Amino acid sequence: MNGRLEYALRRVLLTIPVLFATSIFVFLLIRLVPGDPVRTMLGIRATPDTIATVRSQLGLDHPLITQYWDWLRNALHGDLGQDFISHEKITSLLSVSMPITLELTILAMLLALVVGVPLGIIVAAKSGWTRRLSNGFVIGAISIPDFWLGIMLVLIFTGSLHLLPPTGWVAFTDNPAQNLRYMVLPVLTLATGQSAYILRTTRAAMLGTLSEPYIAFLRAKGLRQRSIVYLHALRNSSGPIVTVTGIQFGVLLGGAIVIENLFALPGVGRLIVTAISERNYVVVQGGVLVVACLFILVNLITDLVHGLLDPRVEEAVSR
Amino acid sequence: MSDSLLEFRKVSVDYAGRGGTVSAVTDVSLTLIEGETFGLVGESGCGKTTLSMALMGLLPDIASVRGRILFNGSDLTTMTESQLRELRGDRISMVFQDPATSLDPTFGIGSQVADTIRAHGDVSRKQAKDRALGLLAEVGIPAAAERYADPPHRLSGGMRQRVVLAAAIANNPALLLADEPTTALDVTIQAQILDLLADLQRRHGTTILLIAHDLGVVAQICDRVGVMYAGQLVEVAPVAELFARPRHPYTRALFDALPSGSHQAGALRVIAGQVPDLAHAPTGCRFKDRCPSRLAECDETPPLAMSDSGASIACWLDPATRAAGGLGPLAIAGESNG
Amino acid sequence: MTTIERASTARPQWRTRFGGREGLIGWTILAVLILIAILAPVLAPHSSEAIDSTRIFAKPDLSHPFGSDDLGRDVFSRVLYAYRASLSIAIGSVLLAMIVGVPIGVFAGYVGGWADLVLMRAVDLLLAFPALLLAISLIAILGPGNAVALLAIAIIYVPIIARVVRSSVLVVRGQPYVLGARTRGASHWAIVRGHVLPNSAGPVLVQASVLMAFAIVIEAALSFLGLGSQPPTPELGLMLAEGNNYLTTAPWVEIFPGLAIAVTVLAFNLIGDGLRRSFDPHGVTR
Repeated sequence: MNGRLEYALRRVLLTIPVLFATSIFVFLLIRLVPGDPVRTMLGIRATPDTIATVRSQLGLDHPLITQYWDWLRNALHGDLGQDFISHEKITSLLSVSMPITLELTILAMLLALVVGVPLGIIVAAKSGWTRRLSNGFVIGAISIPDFWLGIMLVLIFTGSLHLLPPTGWVAFTDNPAQNLRYMVLPVLTLATGQSAYILRTTRAAMLGTLSEPYIAFLRAKGLRQRSIVYLHALRNSSGPIVTVTGIQFGVLLGGAIVIENLFALPGVGRLIVTAISERNYVVVQGGVLVVACLFILVNLITDLVHGLLDPRVEEAVSR
Repeated sequence: MSDSLLEFRKVSVDYAGRGGTVSAVTDVSLTLIEGETFGLVGESGCGKTTLSMALMGLLPDIASVRGRILFNGSDLTTMTESQLRELRGDRISMVFQDPATSLDPTFGIGSQVADTIRAHGDVSRKQAKDRALGLLAEVGIPAAAERYADPPHRLSGGMRQRVVLAAAIANNPALLLADEPTTALDVTIQAQILDLLADLQRRHGTTILLIAHDLGVVAQICDRVGVMYAGQLVEVAPVAELFARPRHPYTRALFDALPSGSHQAGALRVIAGQVPDLAHAPTGCRFKDRCPSRLAECDETPPLAMSDSGASIACWLDPATRAAGGLGPLAIAGESNG
Repeated sequence: MTTIERASTARPQWRTRFGGREGLIGWTILAVLILIAILAPVLAPHSSEAIDSTRIFAKPDLSHPFGSDDLGRDVFSRVLYAYRASLSIAIGSVLLAMIVGVPIGVFAGYVGGWADLVLMRAVDLLLAFPALLLAISLIAILGPGNAVALLAIAIIYVPIIARVVRSSVLVVRGQPYVLGARTRGASHWAIVRGHVLPNSAGPVLVQASVLMAFAIVIEAALSFLGLGSQPPTPELGLMLAEGNNYLTTAPWVEIFPGLAIAVTVLAFNLIGDGLRRSFDPHGVTR
């Protein structure tokens, strides 16, 4: 057991430098803006007074190291600064938008897994037209840009069939049913491409696993086909599936930025893009920071799950 | 004669490939007697593994089996997959060549013995675990209780093969198929595993079909030996008889190629020629093109016939084969010998 | 026997080179699209920018096969022109990423040791960011526009290319023939040029075609968000953004530019699959 515990601990410790580097990048986001970021940010609203106020609020008149240290300390205490347009705290903006992004991405990934893994398992055992059909689905689904798929889904489901509400959003706490109705199309849009990646990965991994000698031995032991495929072969194929799920979650987070804007969902992606067009850098900074941290967390979780499913990780540790 | 446990009757296996049909096994007839250890030897590709996979019902879809394989009187080739599944791991079990790849790397070793028990009986988890612990101890895994949940990669090759054996004998099978069970192991470990096999055989009375390319392994634990060449069974004999008087030209050539025994070092002989391509197998005896004593009759397939010594060989040089094939005694052979 | 079999099953060399039937389809589509982009002024039946108040949201007809948009501009002509931005940004960003990423990968893989450790940690850090988020952050810093989009995509691709190159260099470096070349006194540069680069070409090309497929989507997505090409440039993502408000009135403004993106992405994906099959027939990189 300690081999796997050691793997988990190492993996957790590895996130520290990544978080550190992310914080530096996000901190520099405002400082790297060419010219005077405060002037760019405030635009025509800028008076010498406001410029001076904002500059000292951001601490831009201190040395860079001091600035970073102050910023990091504040961030760790849950203070990511203030929106210069709405004068709201960044953290309160994020506490509204983050759950929406989480709901969207987690539902989409779950749907992609629920569709992609079983289909991948089924297709792995097939040849001929089933295989050709699945290859066609995979290359089609990964070639269609998700936001265009979303537009087409809106066209079909709300324009022609009037089945679902078009763009918009209601808080889950206000009206759960309506909230989910608004989520159907965005989730479907994001999940389609992802399910194709999961399907392809599952199929390839299962094909490899099913030809392993230990699968033949399981059959020689008289185990039921169901338990061989869904318990043994699937667990042995879980490494690539879990890894790809983690990687694809990053793609999903990127996709969510576009999809939230398409469907007018007030998530972090919408927050970031709106803030960019308003040159509202402090909001951009906060949004980028939480999404990046979320991805780092997802990567950590997938690696830990991989370690849980496959005891061979401890061999990699001892090496 | 004692009871026969397993009988191959004119079994042939063909693989349908892109380059045509490959006849991997041709007209093999063989009977295994309950309680014996039977060795099946031959070079790689001679069909011995295909024959064992046909017996297990584990051949790939591209293979087709003709003939009958009778186990306790019932024909395995006509059984449904679920009937076969019930037999596998229960009445007939199998040990594979490489213990490094035979065990599922993601499950604990103990559960891989217990799952065999649970697949063939209404046994609770607890009972299965207890029996699995007993089996692990029986095959010589020290501190089995502590190692029960260990994944296979923490065990050495020899220890893993012991776990594989424990799983194979878990339901006290009547027949144990061992396909080169020691080939992948170090020499010292090989001897231990062979001792364990012989020991298990003594205690449980299991019939063992041992597949090997190594005559030394066969000599150690087998009662009778069958020799296969290019898909045909060419000789079956009690082990002592075979080692004392190999009869079939191929068997003789096999012994001549051995680095040990009566031959001095440096006198190693190789068998001239090549194994025939089984996609275009020649008619008759498949060894004829490499045989030093080829006859005109060799274009006809010689039947496997039992002689007085208890050995059966399929060769037109042998009087029993000639009698079974309806041919008269070999006059020329007598002349040249005399 | 074997020689006869080989002769009967062997495909023509050129077909295998292009990655079988699928790869060939991909290359053909790509060639046509590149020609379209180059010859857009000749091929376009109408101006891509001329506003025509009489043809606002006009339906597709023979002379305007894709219909007209909210300003009465011909969607077909705009799509033809839009390939210029899409393809040049996709190909340009990957080329730029290769110019930077290949040397980094070769250096890290060939030299090894500390250089490898430091470079690959940096690569890991960049990969710890969701790609599109990184691109958007860079645009937030540098401001929107085509050139920035190209640069941003190239920057997110550098670590991916470097990592692919490094792993194939590691494979090649351990080969006996490289050791042989060393003992014969070949210079490092000769070994890199003679053995390392040719042998990592396959994986890099496979990766490059997949990355170009992504680049098409990322570039369109950025423009869709208003962070890439700016109006009135004919650009596929931008056209989708502009037409989205009139989706039910004039669906053709949305359907055709989207299809145009999908066909391009499909071409690169087919090429990638084909290359993968011809460089790695046993599916090792899958």
